[in-house]
Amino acid sequence: MNIFKRKVKKTVLVCCGTGCLANNSFEIYKGLKKKIEDLAVNVKVRPVVKATGCNGLCEKGPIVTILPDDVFYCGVKVTDVDEIVENTVLNNKVIERLLYFDSAKGKKVRSHKQSEFYRKQLKIALRNIGQIDPGNIDDYIERGGYSALRKVLFKMSPKGVISEVERSGLRGRGGAGFPAGLKWRQCAEMDNFPKYVVCNGDEGDPGAFMDRSIMEGDPHSILEGILIGAYAVGSEKGFIYIRDEYSLAIKNMTKAIEKAAERGFLGQNIMGKGFSFDIEIVRGGGAFVCGESTALMASIEGRVGEPRIKYIHSTEKGLWGQPTVLNNVETWANIPVIINKGAGWFSRIGSKGSRGTKVFSLVGKVRNTGLIEVPMGITLREIIFDIGGGIIGSGKFKAVQTGGPSGGCIPESLLGLGVDFDSLNEVGAMMGSGGMIVMDENTCMVEVARYYLKFLSEESCGKCIPCREGIKRMLEILEDMCTGKGREEDIELLLEISETVKEASLCGLGKTAPNPVITTIKYFRDEYLAHIKDRRCPAGICRELTVYYIDRDVCRGCGLCRKGCPTEAISGEIGSRFTIDTSKCIKCGSCKEICRLNAVKVLGGAAE
Amino acid sequence: MKVMIDGKKYDAEYGEYILNVARRNAVNIPALCHSDALPGQGNCRMCIVEIVDKGRKSIVASCAYPITGEIEIVTNSERIYRIRKTIVRLLSASAPDNEYINRLRKEYDIPPETRFKVDRDGKCILCGLCVRACDEIGVSAISTVNRGTTKRVSTPFDEPSTVCIGCGACAYICPTGTIEVNEDEGRRVIWNKTFELLKCSECGEYFITREQYEYIKKRYDLADTNELLCDKCKKKGIGDKLTNVLHNVIPVQK
Repeated sequence: MNIFKRKVKKTVLVCCGTGCLANNSFEIYKGLKKKIEDLAVNVKVRPVVKATGCNGLCEKGPIVTILPDDVFYCGVKVTDVDEIVENTVLNNKVIERLLYFDSAKGKKVRSHKQSEFYRKQLKIALRNIGQIDPGNIDDYIERGGYSALRKVLFKMSPKGVISEVERSGLRGRGGAGFPAGLKWRQCAEMDNFPKYVVCNGDEGDPGAFMDRSIMEGDPHSILEGILIGAYAVGSEKGFIYIRDEYSLAIKNMTKAIEKAAERGFLGQNIMGKGFSFDIEIVRGGGAFVCGESTALMASIEGRVGEPRIKYIHSTEKGLWGQPTVLNNVETWANIPVIINKGAGWFSRIGSKGSRGTKVFSLVGKVRNTGLIEVPMGITLREIIFDIGGGIIGSGKFKAVQTGGPSGGCIPESLLGLGVDFDSLNEVGAMMGSGGMIVMDENTCMVEVARYYLKFLSEESCGKCIPCREGIKRMLEILEDMCTGKGREEDIELLLEISETVKEASLCGLGKTAPNPVITTIKYFRDEYLAHIKDRRCPAGICRELTVYYIDRDVCRGCGLCRKGCPTEAISGEIGSRFTIDTSKCIKCGSCKEICRLNAVKVLGGAAE
Repeated sequence: MKVMIDGKKYDAEYGEYILNVARRNAVNIPALCHSDALPGQGNCRMCIVEIVDKGRKSIVASCAYPITGEIEIVTNSERIYRIRKTIVRLLSASAPDNEYINRLRKEYDIPPETRFKVDRDGKCILCGLCVRACDEIGVSAISTVNRGTTKRVSTPFDEPSTVCIGCGACAYICPTGTIEVNEDEGRRVIWNKTFELLKCSECGEYFITREQYEYIKKRYDLADTNELLCDKCKKKGIGDKLTNVLHNVIPVQK
């Protein structure tokens, strides 16, 4: 290839996602830009918003990529700027120190795309993230943006669009997995105007950041998807509901709407085809339940964010009682690709009942935490061990929790499970919006259930009795168990209340809330029994049910632990063995942390 | 159209709620948050039933499920009974002084609570009827506050409401008598606000707050009327008028 040509094309991408920004990536961006401008060479420096950890490397940010060679640097500091420009940008020399270490291969790789983490992924919803500047609409257009809208407006009828989406097999990515095409058809068939389209960006699951990264990193793809949906169902007004904590997402989305309107993709008579559409951002107030579609609509209307009964679909009576299509961010972002590449292409990806890909936020005790997009049907083992790089540290895998706070915990024996909407439901977990939390053996499953129930008890809207009172009482029982006050009949009682909450609750939050309890009892009943009968916590997590002691064979009597103990529970002579007085020990774990020899042990059983 | 309830066929109108059809035909379905005046709440979930619709089984709240096809309904299966029983138990642990719930407790044969902390000494079961009634009247003086287990019904910031008209509809519709209304010497106190009561111009009994009177006049555009009659006297007046009319039409024969 012509060297001159390559120089012209050279682009430096600096991740300006939330995670990297926090690590000073904007200074790096400014530094690189200034340096290159000073040198007056023909190299473009563009800030690229790559959402937190979208390539699993948020923890290794700030990230700088140099195109077209795809040299991938992580952990970049402001002081590295000169070196990057002089060596890599100008002289094509790779700086070994800044390259990404692929733990699966055990060596450094020049491009992130060579890593195992990247190879098993397939990016549809995340196709542009990290590749474009979300603030620059031309970047999006350059990569084929708004061509799907053009295709739809010039070549397709609304009915044609709907049948294309139906044939693609796309199911809503927000949690329930309702077929998107069917939803659109139901709404399109309503002879009642105005109609509304809504984008749900109220991502509230702890540890999830799928929608956030798309809104921050590729807002135009969402807009384009919504425009296509609006054209298909005959709507002229849309809303994007974004939780207020996502300030960068709100900023980028707002800017995208402005730019799209400037270019005539929004507003009156779009592309001269007689289709008009406007969109508005609504900022959510921070209630988890407002991610539920009917509660979200109530919130947009300015009412209390409580769900309503859904026997009449929102496609018939939604926002202000009018036909409404509501899909989540990821679903909308898939639409332009489906239109461009066709339903046939899309439906060949994924598994039988779940077509396409799914974005997961892979977090917890895995080596590579971050955002991944994989074809559905991929096994949990592939996700956790190939993409995630396995368990961090020396621990063993214990369970993976999918689907947000009301998802279920899946044990090791089911790691061969192909991940899609139906398979996860079958084992008692769910897809949810795509949270995936990996736990190692130092996790107490009773405590995990307690943690999620605590979250849900605070986030339940309290409207219907089974959810409000049921979750409260289940939490009460679990708290008792974790503090050694569990009773023998409690497991059955938990299951009994679970049935009521699951079957009788009004909305999706309640119907799924018992999942953490049901699945942990199903797969880890032993741990429950240990808590109740033996009054001990096998994982050594529940404070009241554990005891700290010093292994006499390992201790060399350095005395560090005694210094670290806040309650003077440790005694002993320097050089001899130290002991812990269990009556004074508050189980804070300071001694365990301090000990260099790993002599402090936690016994999952109360003192005799 | 026809629906099957517990093995028997009944007539139902399109869009009618299951509960209505059942009650019309004396099929008992318990419900706490249901009022014929304000149907379709669906909060208490006591009225759940099992339905089979085109071969698909599901559990739905009968008070809000509209009949749109020939479905089969089971109101009293073992599963439904078990779930209702758990709901009553959960409720009574949180509202132990609620007489209505206590009656249900006996009906479902639930022993005194020994497992849960019986913590709330109130009677409110948060059925939401009061809030709904206030909304329907068009005043919206009360609302639910907070979320989840800390949820309760109150006025904004627990202050005496600036918009409350003291009509007492919330207390009237409350199934458990939780909302306090105190009346004496021409005054009514509700939701921490004191209202002046007006007398019926006919019988002289106190019966309406000034705010409520003004509200009704404004809402129904009755600016010119100065009539101030209580329900009893109004009925009596209508009765008298009717008697007069009847007398004129059918002359009384001597």
